[in-house]
This record gives sequence, C-alpha cells and structure tokens, in this order.
Amino acid sequence: MNRALIFIEQNNERLAPELLAVADQIHGPQPFETYAVVINGDVGSLVGQFDTVISVEDEALQAHDQMALADVVAGLHAEHQFDSIVVAATAAGKMLAPRVAMKINCGLVADVTEISRQNDKLRLVRPAYGGRMMAAIEMQGDGPVMLTVRPGVFRGPGEQHHKATQVIEPKGLRYRLGGIRQIKRESKQLSYDIREADVLVSGGGGVARGFELLEPLAKALGGKVAASRAIVDRGLISRSVQVGQSGKTVSPRLYLALGIHGAIQHVVALDEVEYIISVNTNPDAPICSLSDIVVEGDAVIFVEKLLEKIREEQINANN
Amino acid sequence: MKLVCVVKFVPDVDRFEYDHEKHVLIREGSRMMINPDDGCAIGFALEMKKRNPEIFIEVLTMAPASVVPLVEDILRVGVDQGTIISDRSYAGSDSWVTSRILGRYLATTEYDCILTGSQAIDGDTSHVPPQLGEILGLGQISGITKVEEDSFGSESAVVEVDDEEAVTTYELNLPAILSFSRKSKCRLPHVRFKDRKKDVTDRIKVLSNDELGFAKGEVGLKGSLTKVAKAYTRKYESGAQLRVAADDNGVETVLKFLKEKRFL
Ligand SMILES: Cc1cc2nc3c(=O)[nH]c(=O)nc-3n(C[C@H](O)[C@H](O)[C@H](O)COP(=O)(O)OP(=O)(O)OC[C@H]3O[C@@H](n4cnc5c(N)ncnc54)[C@H](O)[C@@H]3O)c2cc1C
Ligand SMILES: Nc1ncnc2c1ncn2[C@@H]1O[C@H](COP(=O)(O)O)[C@@H](O)[C@H]1O
Repeated sequence: MNRALIFIEQNNERLAPELLAVADQIHGPQPFETYAVVINGDVGSLVGQFDTVISVEDEALQAHDQMALADVVAGLHAEHQFDSIVVAATAAGKMLAPRVAMKINCGLVADVTEISRQNDKLRLVRPAYGGRMMAAIEMQGDGPVMLTVRPGVFRGPGEQHHKATQVIEPKGLRYRLGGIRQIKRESKQLSYDIREADVLVSGGGGVARGFELLEPLAKALGGKVAASRAIVDRGLISRSVQVGQSGKTVSPRLYLALGIHGAIQHVVALDEVEYIISVNTNPDAPICSLSDIVVEGDAVIFVEKLLEKIREEQINANN
Repeated sequence: MKLVCVVKFVPDVDRFEYDHEKHVLIREGSRMMINPDDGCAIGFALEMKKRNPEIFIEVLTMAPASVVPLVEDILRVGVDQGTIISDRSYAGSDSWVTSRILGRYLATTEYDCILTGSQAIDGDTSHVPPQLGEILGLGQISGITKVEEDSFGSESAVVEVDDEEAVTTYELNLPAILSFSRKSKCRLPHVRFKDRKKDVTDRIKVLSNDELGFAKGEVGLKGSLTKVAKAYTRKYESGAQLRVAADDNGVETVLKFLKEKRFL
C-alpha cells in the first residue's frame, strides 16, 4: 500500500488535518497509509488522525537545526520508503524540505496551492513569476512526491473517523548536528488573527494615504483590518495581518478590498470568501473580476463617505 | 577571509508582459536584474570588506552569458571576483539540479562563509540555499535581516531573523550559508560615475560543463526532477456583478448590501 509521510513541526501539530488533506488529494482514490513524524512534539494530539505516528524524543534535536532534522527524516524514508512527503511551508519547513529532497534525490515543489491530475499524472500547481502565473509541475524520477504547502491553503476534513494509531518510537537514529544555536526569541504580539475574522476590511497600495480610516470601518462592521503587502512593506501595519501567499490565507464571509490590485499572490489567499466588495480607481484591476460589487473610484473618499453614512444611521437609530 | 556570494539574476517581474494568446511570458526586452535578496548579500559582504580590506569577495552565479555586463557592474563596486557558470545544457535546470551544479563548483572552492538571498522573485522556491547546505554539509539560515557585524569572525556569526512571528537570534558556526532577506538594511551600492567604464574583465571567470563535467542526462530539463508541464494565468469566474461609482449612489448600494447580508 502507498505510504504518505507528513512532517509535523513541533508546536504546529494543529496543521495535521490540512496536511492530511493534501496527502488525500495526492493519493486520490488509492488506499494509502498515513504516517506522521514528530520530533519532540505533542504526540497525543496526533493519535487518532494517523495510521502511524513516528515519535522521536531526543533533546539534542533542536527544532531550528534543519541539518539534523533532515538526517532524521531521510533516515526514516530509507526505512519506510514513503510515496509522498508533505511538509508545511513554515519558515523552518522551507529550510528542512529542500535538504531532505537533496538527501533522498527527490524533486520538490514549493508552496503548492492546488493538486490535479492530467492523464493519470499528478500535477502540483503553484504560483510563479511573482504570482503573475500559475505553474503546473509534474515530477520526474522515481523519488516520492514531495511538496510544501503554506498553512491555511488546504482545508482539513470537517469530521474524520478516528484511526487506531500505532505510535513508534525509533531509537538510535543517526544525524549530524548543524552547528546552529538559538540564542534569543522574542515573539511578536499578535493582537488578533485575521484568519478568524468574519469580516475583513483590507487595504492596499491605493489607500496608503488614508489607511487609518480602515480601523473605524472595520469596527462598525464587526470585523478586522487586513492589508496587502504593499501596505505592510510601507510599514503601515504589522505583517501578521498580511493577506497573501507570503501572508495568511483567509476565509471571511465578507472581504472589502480597498485599493487592492488583486495580484495572484494576494488572491490565492482568499479561500472560500463569501462576498467580495472592491473599491478601485481602475475597474479592470483583477480583483474586480472576483468581486460581487465593484465600486469604481477613490477608496479613501468612499470609506469616508460610507463611515459618515453609517454614523448618521446609528445616530438616527439611537434617537 | 573569503566570502562567496551566490546570486541569481532574474527578470524584472514587475515589467513582465504576458501573451494571453500564446500563454507565454514575453521575455524579450524584459530587463534582467540582480535578485533583490541577493543584492543584500553582496551589500553585507562589501560592508565587511570596508571594515577589513583583507576580505576577498567572490560572486558566483549560474546564468546565461548575457549577464556578464551585470556581473561587471558588481565588480565595479568592489567585489574581487566574478564566477559565471554558463552552459547551454544547463538551461531548464530545476532547483535540485541548479543546487548540484553550484554545489559542485563550491566544493572545489575555498570559503569562510557563503552568502545568498533567501528567495528569488522569479521561481521563488527558496530551495537553493538549503540544498547547498546539504551538499556542502553546512548549516544554513534563510530570512536573515541582520548580521551582528562585530560577531562576524572566523568561527561563528550571530544573525537575526525578523519574520511575522518573532525576532529570533541564532549563532552559527562558520563556514555556514547565510541567506539574506531584502528586509535587511544591506544594499548593493551603485557604480560610481568614475568607475562606470572601469575594465574588470580580468576578474571574471566563465565556467562551462567542460570544467564541471556533468553527464548529459544529469543537467537541464533532462536531469531535473520537476518539470513545468504548463504555465498559465489564472482566470477567475466573475459572478453576477454590481458595478457602481464611488458617489452617494455607490455608498447607498454598498450600505444596502451590507444590511441585507446582516453585516450591519
Ligand atoms: C514571492 C512574492 C510573494 C508575495 N506575497 C504577497 C502577499 O502575501 N500578499 C500580497 O498582498 N502581495 C504579495 N506579493 C506582492 C504582490 O505581487 C503585489 O505586489 C501586491 O499584492 C500589490 O499590493 P496592492 O494591490 O495593494 O498594491 P498596488 O499593486 O500598488 O495596487 C494598488 C491598487 O489600488 C488602486 N488604486 C490606486 N489609487 C487608488 C485610490 N485612490 N482608490 C482606490 N484604488 C486605488 C490601483 O488601481 C491598484 O489596483 C508577493 C509578491 C511576490 C513576488
Ligand atoms: N542560478 C543561480 N545562480 C546562483 N545562485 C542562485 C541561483 N538560483 C538560486 N540561487 C540562490 O538561491 C537563492 C534562492 O533562490 P530560489 O531557490 O530560486 O528561490 C537566491 O537568492 C540565490 O542566492
């Protein structure tokens, strides 16, 4: 039977369902066995989701030492001969997967957003050329199918039947240490998580001059402020609220795109958004073709007017 | 001390044109430039050289020969040597093959530290630096936003990675591969006016497969483990749309919609 290996990063155990969904799409209707490998992580949360959990407990294996981790994963592959290997495209995962691929002579496809099949050949689709295009990639050679996917791009199944998980704890794994020490880590305060918002008021390059207006509008709509990279790069808001390929994937009910062009790297991260309203001076901006309502004109002026109207109505309602 | 900056020249994607009929990128006339992250790597090397003129900087790239003028400009700002790996048979190499080619050259070169970008703006896979790390048996970190200059000695380097989640400081034993983010403050300087025609040809070395000796099937499209089967622009279905202007009427329309759908 085919075997899928999911690399579970320490402290990212919550990504297991969506990574399993990726394996599901790769193996399609063929029956396959699922393996998780977790290094000094929370095995308990994985039990029931996988057929086998390979739990490696070893204090010498640090989560930031990709050379050592790659040796461990490659060693497991040598033993189990996986048919697919899925790694989350987190900062660490993006350094780990290429090393493993090199060690086991396997092609690797980064940041896959879609999986399809053409004449029985698997196609892994990813944005390329700065998101101007999508590239459908096929694997050559006889290695496993190996890919990274950004968190939030694939959806885990809603409900899942509980599996009788076998936990194995391999001993005597061989690895080199990479000569990297983590000295300090200062986590950034995330005031809110845009992935959980029902309404996102999102600003782009077109509203840079009035970005602060988005906050009261988001408040009025019971939502949160998000942004494109054009705004984040200008330092107007924290990267933690960036929507897009190098930011977060979001699924609000309403996405208000103010002065956002709709570059592929931005829109790939709009997943199952129910309604999109865009305001743009250019009615042909790609975001407009995705929108339920397109407002052609200056987004800053529009937001001012809309806010004014909402306030007026609230005052009237209170009187 | 010797630093090797491994850099890529990329099309200026912001000026890319797409032919919607033929489904191809129009590359003609699209300017090549140094990948932004990679410019930071060279910028850092030059800053270190300012502090310590003994430092020798080599820039290494795998690219078509047409990048020679771009490499020349890099030599004109103070880099000591430019090495261009260029061979027709290497065209179409995926990141796995590219890393093997660069790795084979690097394995024969001396270095105290390798500096690269984190991500190229064309393929944007971020695969090459970790793969080089694997081939050369070196530690590697992507997304570096700062290197403590005082720490940058012969034995180790202290680097900072400032990403969306945290600011993390690492210490790496050297040699290692330090991969810069364009968020770092280091920049590739412009060529000074008086140097713009300076002859630097004797500092450029062009290598082909004659020197590197890969078998035919190992490189290019043939040797690659991944292949682009199709490239296309994504079409989105546009639903029934309402188009309005940003005037009072437009505001009313949106307001009505927000109320109907119970967002207000
Ligand atoms: C590897 C890679 C990863 C990336 N990841 C991301 C990502 O995660 N998220 C992301 O957003 N981008 C990402 N990008 C960048 C992306 O390609 C675009 O450059 C970016 O999304 C542009 O942001 P924007 O649409 O807000 O700004 P712009 O491109 O500047 O567009 C501004 C828009 O506003 C309109 N406009 C101008 N003035 C007004 C006005 N007064 N009123 C209303 N509209 C106005 C314009 O018509 C235009 O459509 C990435 C790029 C690369 C290469
Ligand atoms: N052809 C190449 N020649 C030299 N360096 C490269 C090449 N391709 C990638 N790199 C290096 O690897 C980094 C990441 O590129 P990529 O893996 O293509 O996203 C770049 O920033 C460069 O430092």
